Amino acid sequence: MILARIDGYATASIAHPSLKGQKIVLCTGVDENGVDCGMPFAAVDPIGAGQHSKVFITTDGSWTQNTVHDKTSPIRNQVIGLID
Amino acid sequence: MKPGRVIGTVTLSHAAQQFRGARWILVSPMGADELTKKNLGMSQASTPVVYDRLGAGVGDEVLYVEGAEATQPFDHPIPLDAITVALLDTYNYSVPEQQ
Repeated sequence: MILARIDGYATASIAHPSLKGQKIVLCTGVDENGVDCGMPFAAVDPIGAGQHSKVFITTDGSWTQNTVHDKTSPIRNQVIGLID
Repeated sequence: MKPGRVIGTVTLSHAAQQFRGARWILVSPMGADELTKKNLGMSQASTPVVYDRLGAGVGDEVLYVEGAEATQPFDHPIPLDAITVALLDTYNYSVPEQQ
């Protein structure tokens, strides 16, 4: 589970089929003080989080396989909550 | 998933049987400076070799997955650590000015 901030969006027409119709966001990890940490990463976002909103991300691939309805999906990161 | 830029390819003369016909690319992970185009070169991060079946070429920006999930698209056991999952058409990335 990662605390992160949504800092951008990406589109891809050539991708694993499980990404079709999924919104891809680019995120920056933040620490407990809200300071950026680590390299940016991408995640699928079924919630529809806005630019620069703080979110909660799971890196559980098997959970993401459930939400994209594809057991062969290699996708790991998924936005699962917006932080108040 | 991590964003990265393809900086080269790798070919093998001998490989595990599962990798027959496989295509390998060298990917430079993209950090904040590369995503915001402040740095048009490579990041300092080490460059993984990534299995590719999307047809990524040198200079393309891709998303790749590292870890056990990389083997998920295969119906047989395969000793794989990283795989490309998307060729990026467009992206935007900006960090907020005030933090």
